Amino acid sequence: MEKSVSSSRPVALAGIAAFAVVLGALPLVAGPYPISFVFLLLITFIIAQSWDWVNGQMGYLNLGHYAFYGIGAYAFCLLLIRGVPLAPSFAAAIFVAALAASILSFPLFRLKGDYFAFGTLTIVPLCELLASNLTEITKGTEGVTLPPHYVLIPAYYMAAVLVLLTLATTWWLMRSRFGYAMRAIRNDEQVAEVSGIRLFPVKVLTLCLSAMFAGLAGAIQAWQFSFIDPYTMFNLSVALIPIAAALLGGSGLLLGPLIGVILLSSLQQVLLVKLHMLQGAVYGLVIVLIGRFLPGGLLRWKVIANNPHLAWLARESHFEVGASPAADDHAALPLRAPDLDKSKIDKNKIVLRCEAATMAFGGNVAVREVSIDVRQGEIVGLVGPNGSGKTTLFNLISGIYQPKGGRILVDGQDISGLRADEIARLGIGRTYQIPRPFNELTVRECIAIGRSYGRGAAPLREAMQSAEAFARFVGLGAQIEMRADRLSLQQKKALELARALAGEPKLLLVDEVASGLSTNEIRTFVQHIREIRDRYGITVIWVEHIFSALAQVVDRLVVLDSGSVIADAPLQEAVKDERVLATYLGHSNKDITHEEKRA
Amino acid sequence: MSIDILVQVLLSGLLLGGIYALVAFGLSLVYGVANILNIAHGTLLAISGVVASLIFAATGWNPILIIPLLVLPVFLFGYLFHAALLRPLASRGKHDETIGTVLITVGALIMMSDITGVVAGTNQQNIPVRSEILEFGDVIVPLTQVWILAGIIGLTVILHLYLKYAWFGRAVRAVTQDPLGATICGINGPRAKALTFAGGSGLVAVAGVLYAMIYPVDPYMGFSLTVRAFTIIIIGGIGNLAGAMIAGIMLGVAESLTAFFWAPKWAPAISVVLLLVILVLFPRGLALWKRA
Repeated sequence: MEKSVSSSRPVALAGIAAFAVVLGALPLVAGPYPISFVFLLLITFIIAQSWDWVNGQMGYLNLGHYAFYGIGAYAFCLLLIRGVPLAPSFAAAIFVAALAASILSFPLFRLKGDYFAFGTLTIVPLCELLASNLTEITKGTEGVTLPPHYVLIPAYYMAAVLVLLTLATTWWLMRSRFGYAMRAIRNDEQVAEVSGIRLFPVKVLTLCLSAMFAGLAGAIQAWQFSFIDPYTMFNLSVALIPIAAALLGGSGLLLGPLIGVILLSSLQQVLLVKLHMLQGAVYGLVIVLIGRFLPGGLLRWKVIANNPHLAWLARESHFEVGASPAADDHAALPLRAPDLDKSKIDKNKIVLRCEAATMAFGGNVAVREVSIDVRQGEIVGLVGPNGSGKTTLFNLISGIYQPKGGRILVDGQDISGLRADEIARLGIGRTYQIPRPFNELTVRECIAIGRSYGRGAAPLREAMQSAEAFARFVGLGAQIEMRADRLSLQQKKALELARALAGEPKLLLVDEVASGLSTNEIRTFVQHIREIRDRYGITVIWVEHIFSALAQVVDRLVVLDSGSVIADAPLQEAVKDERVLATYLGHSNKDITHEEKRA
Repeated sequence: MSIDILVQVLLSGLLLGGIYALVAFGLSLVYGVANILNIAHGTLLAISGVVASLIFAATGWNPILIIPLLVLPVFLFGYLFHAALLRPLASRGKHDETIGTVLITVGALIMMSDITGVVAGTNQQNIPVRSEILEFGDVIVPLTQVWILAGIIGLTVILHLYLKYAWFGRAVRAVTQDPLGATICGINGPRAKALTFAGGSGLVAVAGVLYAMIYPVDPYMGFSLTVRAFTIIIIGGIGNLAGAMIAGIMLGVAESLTAFFWAPKWAPAISVVLLLVILVLFPRGLALWKRA
C-alpha cells in the first residue's frame, strides 16, 4: 500500500505523457478512418468523464448530461452559420452549456437520490422538443448544416487537448479541497454540511464544470461533422452510452471512464464491422451485463485491486500526505483557534442560549419552549426518556432544523436563518448517535474534511497531516489509512468525535456515545470528554442514557421530558429532583411517602 | 368553434389518459414495491403493441383474444428478467443499486428496440379495427374506443380491489410501506417484488394492445411513454392507483387540448415540463392522494 502511494504519481504522469505523445502522433501515421474513430472516442471520453465528476465524485446520478453536449453543439453551429467567427462560437458553446447547467441547478438540486435521476431524465427529451419546435432559432427537425469544410485534423487536435485538460481536471479534483467537498457530499450530505461545507455552490460549480466540458465536446464534434439535428444531438439511447462506459471502467476512479470508453468504443467498432444486423442488441446486452456483474466497474474488480502492479488504478483518491512529524498519543492537538485555551475560559460567558426554542413536526411538538444557558467551559449532561427531544434539540442547535418558535443564540448571535455549515464555522461541532462517517473515505480523510472546512479552515495538505493528531487523540492512530466503513462501532464513534474536534468547535454536541460500548471503552470516552474541556476549554453538551458515564464528568444536568425542560440543576441536586426521579431515573424503592408527596 | 369539437377533444384526451394511467400503474407498483427505476417500461408497451399489430395483421383475430396471448409471455418475461438481472442488485449499496438498475433497464431498452426493429421492421404499425360508430348529436365516437375505456376502468377497479382485499395485494402494499417490516411479518419480499415486476409488465402488455388499437406504434417510441408514466406517478403518488388514474387522465386531456388549440408538436412537452415543475415545487413527489 505505502509503496503504491509513493510510486503512483510518476507512473500516472508518465502514463499521461505517453498517452499525449500517442494522441499527438496518430494523425502523422494513420489514415482518416482510424483518426475519425479515435476522434469519436475522445469526444465520448470527454462526455463520460465530465459526467463522472457529478456522479463518481459527488454522487448525483445525472441522466441528462448528454443534453449539454447537444446544447454546446447547437450554440456553436447556430452562431457559426450566422457569421460569427470560430473562436467566439466555441466560447459561446461553453458559456451556453454552463448557463443551462446553472439554471437547471436550481430546480434539480432540490431533489435527492432517485428523484434527482427522475428530474434529469426529462432534460434530454425537453431539449429535443425545444430544438425541433423552435424552428425560427434552431431550424427545427431539418437540422443545421455547416458550409462544407474538411476539419478532421484540427478538430482531432482540439479534442485531444480537451481530453488532456479533462484528465488534468480529474487529477486535480482527486487531490484538492474542492474535490473532497464533492466526495463528502457523495458520502453523506448532512454530515458534509455540519462539517462546514456549503453545499449548493459545490453542486452548482460541479454541474457547470461538467456542462462546460460536454458543451465544448459537442461543439467540436458538430464542427467536424458539419451537420446537427435534434434527433442525433438529443437521442436518448445514445445519451446513456457515455454513462455506461464510465461505469464499465469504474466510476469515481482516475482512469475508470477512460478505460471504459476505450473498451466500449472498440467493442462498438468491432460490432459495426463484424455484424450486419443487431449491433444495437449486442451493445445493449453488454450494457446489461455491466450493470449486472460489475457494480464498481472493471478497475474495482478484485483481480485488479489486489494486483500489486495495478492496484493504483483502483485508488479512490490520489492525495499524497507526504512525511508528517511523528506524533505521540498525548501530544497537544494542533488547534489554531485562539479561544481554545484553558486559561481563557470565562466561566460567566454564555456560549449557548436557547430562548423558548420550539420545534414541531406537524402537530407533534418535539421540543417545547426550551430555555437553557450553557456557560463557557461547562460540561452539561442532557438526559431524558426516548423521544423527549434531545436529538431534536441538537438538530436545532446545529441548524439541521429551523426552530418553529423562540431563538437560539451562540455567543450572543442569533443563529436562526443560518445554514448548518455557517453554524459549524461559528464553532458548533456535533457527533451523531448512529455514527455517520464518510464511509468510502479513510479515517485521515474524514478528519481532514472536518478540519479543512470547519472553523479551523486549514489548507487541505495541512489538514491531512494534522488529522493524525486527532486520530491518535481518540485512539485511531493505527487505523489512520483505513476506510471508515471498515471500522468497528466503537472506532466509528471515536471517528465522529475526532471529525467534530478537528473543526475546532467552541461548543461540542455529543450524541449518545456510550450505549453499546463496554465499561472500559466508556471509561476511555469519559476521559476524552474531560480532556477536551480541561485541556482546550471546549464547552460540551453530552446526551447520554448511560447515567454512570455522565455522572463521572458533567457539572450540570438538563432533563427533558416530552420536549420540555423539567430540571436544570447541578448534578447533585438534579439526581434528587422528584420529577427527574419519576420520569427518568426511577426510584430504587417506590414507597408510599413518594406517592403522598406527589398527591 | 363548436362545443362538439371540444367534447371530441376531451374524449380522446380521456382515452389517451386512461391508457397512460395503465402504463403508469405498472411503473408505480414496480417503483413502489421493488424500488426499480424501470427505464424500459414504456418500451415494453411499444414492443407489445408492435407484436399485437403483427398478430392481428396475420390472423385478423379479435384484439381481445390477443391480449391474453400476449400477457402471459410478457408476465413470464418480467418475472425472469427480475429474477435474473434485477433481484441480485438488492445486495448493493443504494447508489450502486440505482446505477445497476439504470444500466440494466437501459441496456434492455436498446436490445428490445433493436431486436423488434430487425424482426418486425421499424415502420409504424397499428391494429386497424373496423368499428361501428356511435353518434351523439355531432359528436362521433367509435364503439371500439368506448370498449377500450370500459376495459381500462374495469381493469383499474379489479386491480384496486385486488390490492385492497386480496392477500397478495395486501402483501404488496405492506412491502411498499416497509420492506423490512413486511419480511418480518412473513411476507416473502423478493417473491412479492418479482411478482409485482411481472404483473407490472403484464399490465403494460394490455396497455400496448389497447394503445395500438388507437395510435400507431413503433419499436423506438417507448421512452417518451416512460417519461409520461414517471410524470403520472410523481403527480399521483408512488404506489397510488387512484392518484395515477386521475393524474393520467389530467395529462391525457392536457395533451389533447394542447395539440388541438396550440400545436400537436408541443403536446409531448406537457409531461416533461409538468414533471420538472412538480419536482421543483414538491421535491419528494406530490402525494395529493395519500395512501390511506
